[in-house]
Amino acid sequence: MLQCLSIHIGQAGVQIGDASWELYCLEHGIQPDGFILDRQQEQLENGEMEPRNASFDTFFHETRTGKYVPRALFMDLEPTVIDRIRVGKYHSLFHPEQLVNGKEDASNNYARGHYSVGSEIIELVLERIQKLAEQCNELQGFLVFRSFGGGTGSGFTSLLMEQLSAEYCRKTKLEFSVYPSPRISTAVVEPYNAVLTTHSTIEHSDCTFMVDNEALYNICHRKLGIECPTYASINRLTAQVLSCLTASLRFEGPLNVGLIEFQTNLVPYPRVHFPITTLAPIISADKAYHEHLSVPDITAACFEFSNQLVRCDPRLGKYMACCLLYRGDVVPKDVNVAIASMKSRTSVQFVDWCPTGFKVGINHQPPMVMPGGDLAPVQRAVCMLSNTTAIVEAWARLDHKFDLMFAKKAFLHWYITEGMEQGEFTEAREDLAALEKDYEEVG
Amino acid sequence: MMSDILPLAVIGRRVEVSGECATVRFCGGVPPVAGLWLGVEWDNPERGKHDGSHEGTVYFKCRHPTGGSFVRPNKVNFGVDFVTALKKRYALEEEADEDGKACSLKVGCKQVQTVGFEHITKKQSQLRALKDISLSKCAVSCAGEKGGIAEACPNIRVVDLSKNLLSSWDEVILIADELRDLETLSLSENKLQFPLDSLTPPGTFSTLKILVLDKTGITWAEVLHCASGWPVLEELYLRSNSISISERPTDVLQMVRLLDLSSNPSIAENQLYLIAYLPRLEQLILSDVGLSSMHFPDAKTGCKTSMFPSLQYLIVNDNRISDWSFINELDKLQSLQALSCSRNPLTEGDKAETTRQIIIAKISQLKTLNRCQILPEERYGAELDYRKTFGNEWKAAGGHQDPDKNRPSAEFLAAHPRYQLLCRKYGAPEDEELEVPQPFMLKNQLLTLKIKYSNQLEQKELEKQLPDSMTVQKVKGLLSRLLKVPVSELLLSYESPKMPGREIELENDLQSLQFYSVENGDCLLVRW
Repeated sequence: MLQCLSIHIGQAGVQIGDASWELYCLEHGIQPDGFILDRQQEQLENGEMEPRNASFDTFFHETRTGKYVPRALFMDLEPTVIDRIRVGKYHSLFHPEQLVNGKEDASNNYARGHYSVGSEIIELVLERIQKLAEQCNELQGFLVFRSFGGGTGSGFTSLLMEQLSAEYCRKTKLEFSVYPSPRISTAVVEPYNAVLTTHSTIEHSDCTFMVDNEALYNICHRKLGIECPTYASINRLTAQVLSCLTASLRFEGPLNVGLIEFQTNLVPYPRVHFPITTLAPIISADKAYHEHLSVPDITAACFEFSNQLVRCDPRLGKYMACCLLYRGDVVPKDVNVAIASMKSRTSVQFVDWCPTGFKVGINHQPPMVMPGGDLAPVQRAVCMLSNTTAIVEAWARLDHKFDLMFAKKAFLHWYITEGMEQGEFTEAREDLAALEKDYEEVG
Repeated sequence: MMSDILPLAVIGRRVEVSGECATVRFCGGVPPVAGLWLGVEWDNPERGKHDGSHEGTVYFKCRHPTGGSFVRPNKVNFGVDFVTALKKRYALEEEADEDGKACSLKVGCKQVQTVGFEHITKKQSQLRALKDISLSKCAVSCAGEKGGIAEACPNIRVVDLSKNLLSSWDEVILIADELRDLETLSLSENKLQFPLDSLTPPGTFSTLKILVLDKTGITWAEVLHCASGWPVLEELYLRSNSISISERPTDVLQMVRLLDLSSNPSIAENQLYLIAYLPRLEQLILSDVGLSSMHFPDAKTGCKTSMFPSLQYLIVNDNRISDWSFINELDKLQSLQALSCSRNPLTEGDKAETTRQIIIAKISQLKTLNRCQILPEERYGAELDYRKTFGNEWKAAGGHQDPDKNRPSAEFLAAHPRYQLLCRKYGAPEDEELEVPQPFMLKNQLLTLKIKYSNQLEQKELEKQLPDSMTVQKVKGLLSRLLKVPVSELLLSYESPKMPGREIELENDLQSLQFYSVENGDCLLVRW
C-alpha cells in the first residue's frame, strides 16, 4: 500500500485543496468530521461493501478512533485563506498541525516567497511534512498544488521542492500547477514569478500537470451556463479533474500501476514534463440526463479544444504521449471502439520517435458531483493527460511578457530589495529559452 | 436476430436496419415479387422510398411521402433481450485475450498499451454485483425469459436503456418488475407505445426515483396514466416529446421534485396552471418551449400566489421572453430562490449587466441568477440603482417624496410592483439624484449673463452667453474690445438675483467664472 502526501501551497493551492478534499470525502463516504457514514461502516464490517473503499489508505490516514484524516498539508504565508479552512465546513477533518500559515504574505513576490519570508517558515513546514511521512508505511511520493503567478506559489514552492529533493530523494514529486492565463492576469509580475519558479523547480519536479484559469472560466461560462464564474466554480471543476487523476490510487483497481506509471510514460525527457489536462464530459446540472454520452463520445471530446483546461492549440504541435484515464461505467470493448475511431483522425499527430502513443486505464468507481453544484452527474468520465509540443506556445507567451518587462527593468527593485540578484533573472530566462528549444528539438 | 423466422406480433415492433431505426407496419406479400416482405416506417422521414403504397395498393400508412420501405425480414434486426445485451456488454466472451494484460490495440501505427483491462473484465463478469449500468444503443427490444433478469443482475439501481428497440411500455414493466431496487431509469429515444390497458403490478417501480423519457413520443395523458405506478418518483424528464399538458395530475406525481418539460413547443402558458399545484415541485425546467409570458392571476400586485408553492428553481432559457412583466410576475412566487433565463430577447443584447441588476431588483427573494450567487452587496446596489433609474418615470406618473402626495398611476405600479417597497426601504429618491446629467456640450456650459456698465451716465445693459470656464482675463479682453476701454482699467464684479444686495468682486484674472460660482442669469458689473 503506497501512500501519497498532498501539499497545498499558497492561495491557489489551498483553495484547490479545499475543493478536492471535499469531493474525495463525498466519494469515500467520509463526513465532515472525518468519520464514515454509519451505513457504510456497517457494510465494511460485514464485508458486504465492495473492497474499493479499503484502498483510500493512500490518501487518508486512519486514527485509532476510526477517524480518517487526509494525508495533506496546507500552507500559506498569510493567514486569511487558511483561516477560512479553519472555520469552514471541513475544519474538523484536518489536524490543526496540518494547517500552517505565516503572518506576512509574499505580496506576489517570488523573492519574498523563496528568500526572505519563505525561509522563515520552511523549517516548520518540513517538520510537519516529516510527521505526516512518518505516518505512512511506504510513502510513494508527493503531490504539490500551487500557482505559478503568486508569490508563495512560486517562491515558496521552489524552496520547498529543493528541500524535498534533498530529504526525500527517491520519492516522486508531481505538481499540479495553475499556469498564468494568457489574457486574464491577477498580478502584473506574474511572468517574473512564473519564469523564476519554472527555472528553479524544473529539476526537482517529475511531472507538472497544468491548468489555466482562462480555460476554466470559458468552460464554466460556455458549458456550465454560469454567467459570472467565481473561483468556487472553477475549483470544483479542478477538483473533478484531480479526482479522475487520483481515482486509480484511491479505489481498488490496478493500484500499483497507477499515477506513477502513467507519469513514467508521459515524460520522454526529464525537462519535457508539462502535460496538459482535459476533462470530458462537462455537462451543466441543468442538462442532467439530457445526453447519453458513450465512451467514444467522451474520448472524442478529449481532443476538442473547448474541453482543455489549458489554452493551447494541440493542432499546432505533436503529441509525445497521451494518457486516457477512464472512470465509471466503461468496458474495455468500448475503449477499443473509441480508440479505433480516433485512429482515423488526422488531427491527432504523434512524434515519429515515440512508439507507444496512448496509455489507457480504467477505474470502475463512478464520478461523483457535489450536490447543488454546477455539474450534472454522469455515468462515465475521462481525464486525458497529454504531453504535446504545442505547449511551447504557452512558454513562448510567458517568455515574451517577461522580456517586455525585464527590458525596462520594471518592477525589478521589489525582487532586488528582498535579496535577489539580476543575474538570477537572466539565468532563469535562459533556462526557459533552453526549454523552448528542447520542445522544438523533440517535435 | 436476423432470420426468416419472424417473432409473433411483429407489427409495431421497433427494429434496426443497417444502423437506422424503424417501426414495422406491415408483414406479408407484395405482388408481383415473391416472398415475405416487411413494411417499415423509418424514424428518418427521408430514408424511405414511398409512403407505404406500391403500384396503387396501400399496404401501410406513413406520415411522410418518403417515410416507408419494404425490406426483407432477414435484413432486419429485431434486437435482443435484456440479459443477452447485458452479457454482451459486460462479460467479454469470444474476444477475451489469452495474454490478459497487454491488449493488442493500434492507433495508426502506434501501439496502445492498456492497463487494468483484465481486472475490469473479471469484475464486470460478476454481473450480479452490478449496480449502475448502461445498455444504451445495445438493441434491447424485450425483457426476455421471465425471471432471467432477476437471476442475472438483481441489484441494479441505475440503468440507461436509451436508444434501444423497446416498443411498448408493457415491455418496460416486465424489465422493471425484475429489478426490485431500481432507482434511476432512462428510456430516452425509445419510441414507446402506451397501451391503454397497461397495468403496473404493485411493487414494480416501488423504488423508482428518477425517470428519463426524452424523445419517446409520450403524451401527457399517458404520463398520468403510468404515473400511478411511480409512487416515489422524484425527478421526471420529458424533453422533446411534443407534449401539451392536458389535465391536472390529481393523485399522481405528488412526490415529484423536478420536472423537465424542455423542448416541447406545444406547451403554452395556460397549460402551466394544470401543474401549478404539485406540492413538492422544487425545480421546473421550461427551456426552449417558446414561452413568452407567465401570469399568476390569483395574486394581485405585491401579493404571493398559491401556485407552485414549493418552486425554488425555475429555468426558462432559450424562450421568447421579451417583456418585463414576466419578471414582475415571478416575484409573486412564494419559494423562488434561483432563476436561469439566458438567451431570451429580454436578456440578449449589450445591456446584459443592466438586465441582471433589474432582474435582481424585481424579484425580492432571488438568491441565484443564471447560476451566479447574488451577494448582499450586489442586491443592495441593484435595488438602489433601480430606484434611481425609474425615479423620473415614477414622478411623472404621480409619485412624490411626500407620502400624502404620493399617488403613482396604476400603470406605473403594474410595471414596477416593487417600486414603492424600495422607496420605503431606502427612502424616496431625491430630486438631485434624479437629475439627468447634461451631456458635456459647449452649449450646456454657457452662462447667459447680463452685463451692466455702471460707471457712466448711461446705464447700458448687454446680454451675452459666456462659457463658465472662461477666465476673468478673457472676459475683460472681450469687454475691452466691446467698450473700447483698455483691459488694465477694467474692474469686474457680479451680483446674483439669488443674493440680492451683495456684489462679489472678480479679482483674480486667472480664475474662471465657474470659480467665482457665477451662474446662469447673474449680472456682471463693469467699472473703469
